[in-house]
Amino acid sequence: MTEPLIRVQNISYTYPAGTGKPALRDVSLTVNPGDYIAIVGANGSGKSTLARHLNALLVPNEGEVWVNGWNTRDRAHIRDIRRTVGMVFQVPDNQIVATIVEDDVAFGPENLGVPDEELPTRVAEALAAVGLEGQGQRASHLLSAGQKQRLAIAAALAMKPLCLVLDEATAMLDPAGKAALLDILRRLHDAGTTIIAVTHSMSEAAEADRIVVLSDGQIVAEGSPARVFGDAALLEQCGLEAPPVARLAHLLAHHWPDFPTDILDPEALADAVCRFLAAPGAVPTTPADDVSDGAGWPSSGIAAQDPWVALDNVHYTYLQGTPLENRALRGVHMEVRAGETVAIIGPTGSGKSTLLQHLNGLLRPHSGRVRVLGYDLADPRCDVRALRKRVGLVFQQPEAQLFERYAGDDVAFGPLMFGASIDEARERVRAAMNSVGLPFEAYKDRLTLALSGGERRRLALAGVLALDPQILALDEPTAGLDPKGRDDLIALLRQWRRADRAIVFSSHNMDDVALLADRVYIVADGQIAHSGPTRQVFANPGWLAEFGLGLPPATALAHTLALRGCPVPTNVLSLEELAQAIVRLADERIRV
Amino acid sequence: MSASEFELLRTVTLGQYLPTGSAIHRADPRIKLLAGLLLVVAVTAMSSIAGLCLSFALVLVGFLAARIPLGYALSGVKPMLPFLALLGILQAIAIPQNDANTTVFWRWAFITLTARDAVAVALLFLKFSVLVWGLSLLSFTTTTTELTHGTEHLLRPLQRVGLPAHEFALTLNVALRFVPLLAQETERLMKAQASRGADFGAGRGWNFVRRFRRLIPLLVPLILSTLQRAEDLILAMEARCYTGGKGRTYLVHFRARASDYAMLALVVVVLAAALAASATPADALAWRAISTLWR
Repeated sequence: MTEPLIRVQNISYTYPAGTGKPALRDVSLTVNPGDYIAIVGANGSGKSTLARHLNALLVPNEGEVWVNGWNTRDRAHIRDIRRTVGMVFQVPDNQIVATIVEDDVAFGPENLGVPDEELPTRVAEALAAVGLEGQGQRASHLLSAGQKQRLAIAAALAMKPLCLVLDEATAMLDPAGKAALLDILRRLHDAGTTIIAVTHSMSEAAEADRIVVLSDGQIVAEGSPARVFGDAALLEQCGLEAPPVARLAHLLAHHWPDFPTDILDPEALADAVCRFLAAPGAVPTTPADDVSDGAGWPSSGIAAQDPWVALDNVHYTYLQGTPLENRALRGVHMEVRAGETVAIIGPTGSGKSTLLQHLNGLLRPHSGRVRVLGYDLADPRCDVRALRKRVGLVFQQPEAQLFERYAGDDVAFGPLMFGASIDEARERVRAAMNSVGLPFEAYKDRLTLALSGGERRRLALAGVLALDPQILALDEPTAGLDPKGRDDLIALLRQWRRADRAIVFSSHNMDDVALLADRVYIVADGQIAHSGPTRQVFANPGWLAEFGLGLPPATALAHTLALRGCPVPTNVLSLEELAQAIVRLADERIRV
Repeated sequence: MSASEFELLRTVTLGQYLPTGSAIHRADPRIKLLAGLLLVVAVTAMSSIAGLCLSFALVLVGFLAARIPLGYALSGVKPMLPFLALLGILQAIAIPQNDANTTVFWRWAFITLTARDAVAVALLFLKFSVLVWGLSLLSFTTTTTELTHGTEHLLRPLQRVGLPAHEFALTLNVALRFVPLLAQETERLMKAQASRGADFGAGRGWNFVRRFRRLIPLLVPLILSTLQRAEDLILAMEARCYTGGKGRTYLVHFRARASDYAMLALVVVVLAAALAASATPADALAWRAISTLWR
């Protein structure tokens, strides 16, 4: 038995400036060399606090943490501890120290006093390990978010750590950036580095060998992914959800009580499904009927009306006429009709946010036409303020834009700015807060800063809904939320939809798109690459793969099953649909 | 309202580096910084027109050698002209230079314009031009990274007497990294609040309280997020064993070549000559010429 790399013994910790509520309570954990551990938990469960104890950024109030034999209380070994356990944080921009890539990677070893002549080799090796070789001279602020996180990993690797702790390092990345980062982690792990990943993405946690579940400052479960994800009740109780494969297995177990629920691998799931549908050879090869949109949002009838939003050959260039010119939109065509929910997807920097900012006149096209609810943005006399009242725009991480002390006051800002009377504003605030699940009477006098992350996001949304807009535009509405927060927000948006309203949103999360959108536009490099009804877009995996976008989990699973010879329709959008399709298939088989 | 209503980055032109690949660009940044420092000190101490003209010629030669179009350099000075004009007027009016043997051009109430005033204003203009052009030559030919590294390496010997050279350079580096981020963030906040009906364009009236109140929706989140960023950055630096400048090693090393020393020598010689020119009668000649021309 090897000596453990990190030993956490019964630690408790309370933030000195907090509410006095302990962030960690009697937590113990053993990390062995070569482990790949995922620490999961809802926002506020204490997982970041635990991570910060692993390299002495925090020292416990009670209990001990030993790293490679050194106690983290021992200030004499603090450098040894931090050199042994490298850290990567959530926000890409806030952990880069230097203006040039190379200087940033060198920062750690320089601090350690690594001999001058060894530094260039260390920098080059670290950059090569994350696929940034030859980019040492680039300006760090010009990297993409994914590259910035890879730079942060390189900066930690340059100190030659035995263990790497990642604190929600993928939370702000697009699918391609996430995939690249996970790939790097896998390779580092194969090469012998111990990995500890803090995350609330369960598909990422499934990569680990061991999962530690934190809830309310305590470890409530620890074990292999199969074991932890098999316990659906526990996960739900902690505000988490199992990865899609496990969830589908649970749905199928409702119909077939002996269906195994400890499956995590899509291939293994396909095997089990085939087994339950009798021998694979006996499966008829007739293709499955596609799922149709019977209960979808009404689109006929309304289609005959004029579109609410019409973008015609829109071009927009940032910093026009300067050396930093950036052509963000290059001839975009797009339409949104009453009653529709439209998703805009595409890699980071493809122009999604720029596009959304044209909808309420924050940006005006440099050429081409933008018409929204009868307003023509090309017309210099266009009253953009009146337009902004009818098109609500919710920015990325809107909780960072709250500024009032009390929740109710912040929501009232919009109505008051648009000239509502106090009484009218009060009624609008009441309606908006109630509709986002923050009951007016209970929440109006709460301190804005004391709300949880998910509550703050919903409060910010209420601030826009209080204007009672006809069109709601949202930039990455679920980014950074934990599974429960995300479910709540999606339910809320589904509830807000009406025939006389429209939603346009951008997202990196294909599951959001599958659950919400009627139609999808794929934006790449400032142009619409593909568009169509959601089912049709996701029926073309090639369209998505081209831009590093994945399929929604249910659709991806359906494809895996179809490849295995189960004739399930491949255009399903939710796990419930897929489970129903599989069960229907079994029923037909019995009748035959 | 223009399309770039919210484009704050347009006005943030930090370190306008202009790569032309000239010998000046390739020179050791420490030497360039030293030359710049010498220029600033010498020109500030200079009070002769002849000396300033000589220094100005030195800077012009620098621009030619760096292959930077003079028109481009001039455009950088333009925004400062009104400010400079105001300074000139103040200099002429507020600091009377009327001893007995000077020519009086014009007299009104307590204001007297003399030949000495004219010389003083000319000196001010020249001094200012040499300083601005000299320093912009430095920024056109040196990247911000070279500047921070150069500063650190130049100051390092002074670390022994307690000067925090590394901390100073690091602060500079971090500030340079965060300025564009803050500009972006302000832009996003302005857009978000404008989407909720805030109107930043209108700066009506002199009601400062109301104008300040309008900024609260920007200032509060901006300050909060800046504190958050600072906290994150401190954690990230601590995690990478940062404990100040002691015992650090350096990735970047500069080696000055003979040509760099030659350049520095040239600057020293010319500036010495320019300083020496103050002791010659050239100055006196200059203002005598002006008064003769006036008559």
